[in-house]
Amino acid sequence: MKKSDEQIAREAKALFDASVDELDAATLSTLNQGRQRALEAAQSPRGELLRWVPAAGFAAAVLVGVMVTLPGPGSIEVMPPGVADMELLLGEDSLEMFEELEFYSVLDVMDEGDDVG
Amino acid sequence: MNTETATYAVSWVSEQSTGTRALQQEQQLNRFLAEVERRALRIAEIGVRDRDDALDLVQDSMIKLVRKYGDRPSAEWAPLFYRILQNGVRDWHRRQAVRNRVMVWFGRGTSGDDEYDVVAAAPDPIGRSPDEELQNSEAMVSLEAAVQALPARQREAFMLRTFEGLDVAGTAIAMGCSQGSVKTHYSRAIHSLRETLGEHGPQGSEDG
Repeated sequence: MKKSDEQIAREAKALFDASVDELDAATLSTLNQGRQRALEAAQSPRGELLRWVPAAGFAAAVLVGVMVTLPGPGSIEVMPPGVADMELLLGEDSLEMFEELEFYSVLDVMDEGDDVG
Repeated sequence: MNTETATYAVSWVSEQSTGTRALQQEQQLNRFLAEVERRALRIAEIGVRDRDDALDLVQDSMIKLVRKYGDRPSAEWAPLFYRILQNGVRDWHRRQAVRNRVMVWFGRGTSGDDEYDVVAAAPDPIGRSPDEELQNSEAMVSLEAAVQALPARQREAFMLRTFEGLDVAGTAIAMGCSQGSVKTHYSRAIHSLRETLGEHGPQGSEDG
């Protein structure tokens, strides 16, 4: 007999919960340590700023590189695709920064008391 | 003098109150994170197919939640946490795609799918008979593969609704889309899973 959507979801959830219960001790310990680090990190906002230093340094290096290699004013030069790729690889927060703009707009909508909730 | 003393006392009481509030909030956050961390890990693991990367993503999400949204009402933490985690998973996939392109360019391209063995990565057995354990393990491997094969948005909707138990509104916040979109993605996900897993759906030893 064909199962309903609810039955499929319920059985999938049971399997998922079983796999969660079977997580090994080492993994649970790592999770616990990560949680403690997260709670400690809340009291050290300075660390957040320091995380931007490598990305900012790299961005500055790329900017200098582009300025040096540009042929001069009046000409249009397209940045080689490899540079964009490397920036994406090395930048820790570049994507999140843009994604969070959308995120904040969603939060603003929540705050304005729309029907979400 | 009396006024100064009174001012000091009010200030001291205020500081104590703020300190108590901060402590309570930290305890609340700790409880919330302890509650969701294991499910979040498995959801992230299904998303990226790598436990170590999933652990990193969960820890990053915890840090971001605590730093940025720790002062939000606790009822908002779950959708916010999963929003951060889903962004992390999407970001991971983008980075993998770029990394693979770069590796191919250097002549060292690999297909990431070949490196992940879902059978080898299946959880260790505890407290079940061998038959039950084998049945559940096989069913979970099939389910996991079927969920991984879903398009990203359907996978997100299905995991957040079914595995984490978020309601439609919470899932919409976590996914950054409308509630209507959540319903559509979820419905399509269930339909695809039914087709992939067969009419009878996932079949573990625990029915219901």
